[in-house]
Amino acid sequence: MNTRHFSILLLLITAFLLPSYAKASGSGDEGLNVKEVMFHHLGDGYGWEVPFSHVYRIPLPVIVRAEDGSWHCFSSSRLSEIERVVDADGKEKTEAVPKIVSITKNGKEYQFVLAHHSKHSNKVVQIFPLTTESDKKAFLDAEAAVAASDAGQDAIVDGYVEFDGTYYKEYKPLDISITKNVFALLIASVVVTLLVLGLARYYAKHTDKTPRKGMGFVELLVDFLYSGTIKSALGDKTKKFAPYLLTCFFFIFVMNVLGLVVIFPGGANLTGNIAVTLVLAVIAFFMINIHGSKHYWKDIFWPDVPLWLKFPIPIMQFIEIFSMFTKPAALCVRLFANMMGGHMIVITLILLIFIFTAFGAVATGATVVVSILFTLFMLALDILVSFIQAYVFTLLTTIFISMSTEDPHAKHEENVEHLSIEKGTAATE
Amino acid sequence: MELFTPDFGLVFWMFIAFIILFLILAKWGWPVILKSIDERADKIDKGVEYAKEAKAQLDSARADAQKYIEEAQTKQAEMLRDAAKMKSQIIESAKQEAADEAKKVMDAAKVSIEQSRKEAELQFRNEVSRFSLEIAEKMVRNQLKTDEAQQNLVDKMLDEIEKN
Repeated sequence: MNTRHFSILLLLITAFLLPSYAKASGSGDEGLNVKEVMFHHLGDGYGWEVPFSHVYRIPLPVIVRAEDGSWHCFSSSRLSEIERVVDADGKEKTEAVPKIVSITKNGKEYQFVLAHHSKHSNKVVQIFPLTTESDKKAFLDAEAAVAASDAGQDAIVDGYVEFDGTYYKEYKPLDISITKNVFALLIASVVVTLLVLGLARYYAKHTDKTPRKGMGFVELLVDFLYSGTIKSALGDKTKKFAPYLLTCFFFIFVMNVLGLVVIFPGGANLTGNIAVTLVLAVIAFFMINIHGSKHYWKDIFWPDVPLWLKFPIPIMQFIEIFSMFTKPAALCVRLFANMMGGHMIVITLILLIFIFTAFGAVATGATVVVSILFTLFMLALDILVSFIQAYVFTLLTTIFISMSTEDPHAKHEENVEHLSIEKGTAATE
Repeated sequence: MELFTPDFGLVFWMFIAFIILFLILAKWGWPVILKSIDERADKIDKGVEYAKEAKAQLDSARADAQKYIEEAQTKQAEMLRDAAKMKSQIIESAKQEAADEAKKVMDAAKVSIEQSRKEAELQFRNEVSRFSLEIAEKMVRNQLKTDEAQQNLVDKMLDEIEKN
């Protein structure tokens, strides 16, 4: 057995033994809310986690429009306060404790809080203390109504938020905060801009020279898409659509890959967020339909089918118009589901380790090794998926655009014109 | 279901980010890159075509050269053949001429020999006739030295005349 095999074996044995050691020396585990952890990682948030800390976060600006129409901007660090608390076992530790942000503007006080026990959980809401008797009475009525229903005692009372044992009336403000996802979006945009402008600058400097190394990879991707897909599908309309399609591909690809990076500049589950893919799909929808040819619209409103299928009951028209929307919707859902699925599997595999701690040290050790191996495999697969999904999105958009802009009549007319001209010249001769 | 409800803030920023990114890249990024890629592709295509043409030209040039070489070779062979022919002709004619000349010389020699033989013959005859006359004179003189002999002769001749 050579040293390499030996060292791998040693590493595996250590991996098996470490958790049991940790278990022996560590304290008892707290309850693990799998669903909450998972959704926390998949979802958005104010502030960005710092590696190896659950307390400290990179503060990001919160921008909200209060009920009376005034805009407020404050740092997300103000939504919580780091305090040293003593937990149930008598151990002291640091914890981020949520708190109310009070802003006084034009002599009026606005209060915001990060909602937990509310319909808008994990969102910043504006709160109004229940001061008047009528308010309190209204709340008590609502609470009683909820408690009486099937939901039970701890159910959420619609329109109210519980904070530190007190209920407040809540208002969900218009929220355009720079959240973790938005910030990741901006980072991705900057990365794409740098990549593309860098390549453009390279070309401006060196004519007729292929870039090497990093830029060579970007060029490879551009060439793969441009020459391989876009040009062959769109023909003479390439110039018009290529910038959009390439921007689309690179944006999605960079967002996908950044999402796989675990620490700060990445880690946000961007393309696994329906809002992002929705916007991409809506833009694709407009790109597909705005430049639709006469032929395309005719096929939608008066397709070549037997008359009874389109008149007097417009069955075909209904189907065609429906398909106009399903195409981008499929794009949206495909990207979203693929990327979110990838993230979810990785998180689940990691969470397995913590779930299996309940079954003793050996089980935990085995799970650690298996989970890590599977996670590595999944992450490698996700890199592939990142590229494939970005490519598929772009490819399908290209095909839809080429289908909607194609005009078989134009070619035909051209031919007819050509023929008539030929005839004319023949006659004059 | 938080995951399946698009968040307004994110939609808003995503829209803005994408539009700005698209405008920036469509203005300063893609046109330069795509133009360069197209140009380079054209250049490569042209290069390949040029290389093909050059190869074809080279091939045809090679064929031409081969043709010229072959032509030259046939010409050379022809010339050699002609030269050989001419050589033999010249030799032949020279031989002929020499033979003719020799014949002429021989003929002339023959003629002169004949003549000189005839002359010698003539001279010899004259000589012989002179010698024989001299001899006869001498013999006659010898025989007729004595008077008796002269008488006998005269007698004999007279006898003969008488007999006749």
